[in-house]
Amino acid sequence: MATFQAVKKAVTLTPTVRALPSGIPHAPLLNLAARAPHDPHAHGAAGPRADAAPQWAGGVSRTASGLVSKTFTTVSPTSNFQQRYIHTSVARKDAPEVPDFSAYRTNPETNRALSYFMVGSLGVISASAAKSSVSEFLQSMAASADVLALAKVEVDLTTIPEGKNVIIKWRGKPVFIRHRTQSEIDEARSSDWKSFRDPQADEDRVKKPEWLVMLGVCTHLGCVPIGEAGDYGGWFCPCHGSHYDISGRARKGPAPLNLEVPVYEFNETEDKLVIG
Amino acid sequence: MSLSTTFYNAFFKRNSVFVGTVFAGAFAFGIGFDIGVSKFYDTWNKGKQWKDIRHKYVQEE
Repeated sequence: MATFQAVKKAVTLTPTVRALPSGIPHAPLLNLAARAPHDPHAHGAAGPRADAAPQWAGGVSRTASGLVSKTFTTVSPTSNFQQRYIHTSVARKDAPEVPDFSAYRTNPETNRALSYFMVGSLGVISASAAKSSVSEFLQSMAASADVLALAKVEVDLTTIPEGKNVIIKWRGKPVFIRHRTQSEIDEARSSDWKSFRDPQADEDRVKKPEWLVMLGVCTHLGCVPIGEAGDYGGWFCPCHGSHYDISGRARKGPAPLNLEVPVYEFNETEDKLVIG
Repeated sequence: MSLSTTFYNAFFKRNSVFVGTVFAGAFAFGIGFDIGVSKFYDTWNKGKQWKDIRHKYVQEE
């Protein structure tokens, strides 16, 4: 508390005029006889104030030590004197009258759950709408049913005799299907595939050894090779002379890679081949 | 403790629980809405869809 008072004194501007213990400013050079200057706003005649207190009731007088104010009608303070500072404003104790609205106010406790429920419901619907918009948009980019139906090709394997080639069209490209004989399988498996240009074992290229399925597009520049031709008994590309063996591996000529193997499955029950 | 206060304390007091409830509710709402709309569509078009008249034309062997 004491420190607070000290701080309060420090920030409060001290009066520029020394005050007497009675609270009257000490102004020794004040001319009490001076008249107020002519003021058109002042009503009545100019001169000393008419409402000044009479001499017997006290008043300000000049003494050797300065101005002294005496008031006979009240008792002058004797002890515990506190100096008053000049303030420009007076704290107003009573606030302006505000009507009592409490009768019109709803109870926040009872309405709170409903308010949050409404906010939450809006959130639920918005999130649901946003989710369905995104998923519908993504679905619009998926392949349609007719495209998916065309993307697969079924081949009846019973119609292909052993040692014969069949070329079918799948997604606009030719697909070679060869029913290999046992000697062809042995030839494909016995070759030293590690020294080939695109080393690949025959076991990795076929799912069943007697059925060789691959894309009939030459890996060099995209011609269609001729079956049962070439130096290795497999395929031969007439455009630039690439030779493929009985497993479709590039053996000679400019082809850099083996013939591509598409994704296919065997349908065991109906003896069918499904490409795609 | 009233019902609304219980409700408030269970779902709305923590924002994490609130947001989690909203997302879980959106998931459930999406599924339920889809099912409800399909049900309504099927009842409204009863007897007109292929799955309703399939037995007249396709004989299961």
